[in-house]
Amino acid sequence: MNTKVKEIMNSKLETLEHHASVYDAIEKLVDKRIRSILLLPENEQDVYGVITVRDIVFKVINKNLDPHKVRIEEIASKPVISIDKDTEVEHLIKLMEKFNIARVFVHEGRQIIGVVSLFDVLSLALIERARRH
Amino acid sequence: MINKIISGGKLEKKIIENIKNHIKILCSASECFGNSLFTGNKESTYCVSDLEREADTIRREIIAKIHEGAFLPFIRPNICKFIEIVDEAFDNLEDAAFEFRYVREDLYNIIKSDCEKIVKINSTMCELLLVAFETLIEKGDLREKNLAIRVCEKQIDDIKFDIIEKLRKVELNNFWDGKIISDFIEYLTKISDLIEDASDYLYIIEVSLR
Repeated sequence: MNTKVKEIMNSKLETLEHHASVYDAIEKLVDKRIRSILLLPENEQDVYGVITVRDIVFKVINKNLDPHKVRIEEIASKPVISIDKDTEVEHLIKLMEKFNIARVFVHEGRQIIGVVSLFDVLSLALIERARRH
Repeated sequence: MINKIISGGKLEKKIIENIKNHIKILCSASECFGNSLFTGNKESTYCVSDLEREADTIRREIIAKIHEGAFLPFIRPNICKFIEIVDEAFDNLEDAAFEFRYVREDLYNIIKSDCEKIVKINSTMCELLLVAFETLIEKGDLREKNLAIRVCEKQIDDIKFDIIEKLRKVELNNFWDGKIISDFIEYLTKISDLIEDASDYLYIIEVSLR
């Protein structure tokens, strides 16, 4: 696979500010039918974070905490694992396997510009396989 | 299977070559339309109409030859249906090219990157349809090609959803601006549905020959 991650990434990113509540995140996850939300940096020195359904269930719901009262920055994973947009997909797969993750964010400089999921990799593999006669 | 399809006849071989050419022209038209979108050169979209006319001649020739008695009678309707669906994809591509010439620039710029992704996937799908047809003739596994085409179609469906979401936020004062951009999106995204249908027909032909 000589394809670069920028060719298969999804540039539609759902984001939230640091001060948002976990309930805000839950609403967004349900409405947009997504599994993770990018947490924007608070200032120039700060880095991006990510909040997933997994974080909410294990760190809030399971502990009987009120999602309205918990801020997402308290449970978000930081910094996010990201990859340069010009990295080859082969390297991306290794990274996903190493960290056991299903989604990797894509960066250009310091900016996060997209996200690639395992399903995007699978789709690419299926198309490339079918192209071969 | 190849013996059953071709029946060893010259007529059948000629039709198979024509069908391949028909799909290859669809690939060229899709590529040409893609170039127009990437370069923003609206004048160059006329190549789609030229290629559509060329394909129309081939389609008529194929149908006429089938009616002359090529192929076993029970697969003739499916082959004709397959050709008609590919022809419909041509019509949609031509309509999309027509609408693109009149689409309002500032509206198009909102969805430009999404449309570019769609034309790229459309071209891949045309290529996969050709591979699928060749696979049918060469007795290969059509399931994999069919699945890849379905994957592409799903990707376009997702992009269409994003486009609609973006355009819904725009307020329009002119009916025609809205109609043109809406028709453009409709034609552009329908091409993948038709290629998927055509691929399904290939699968039906394969199953009917087992």
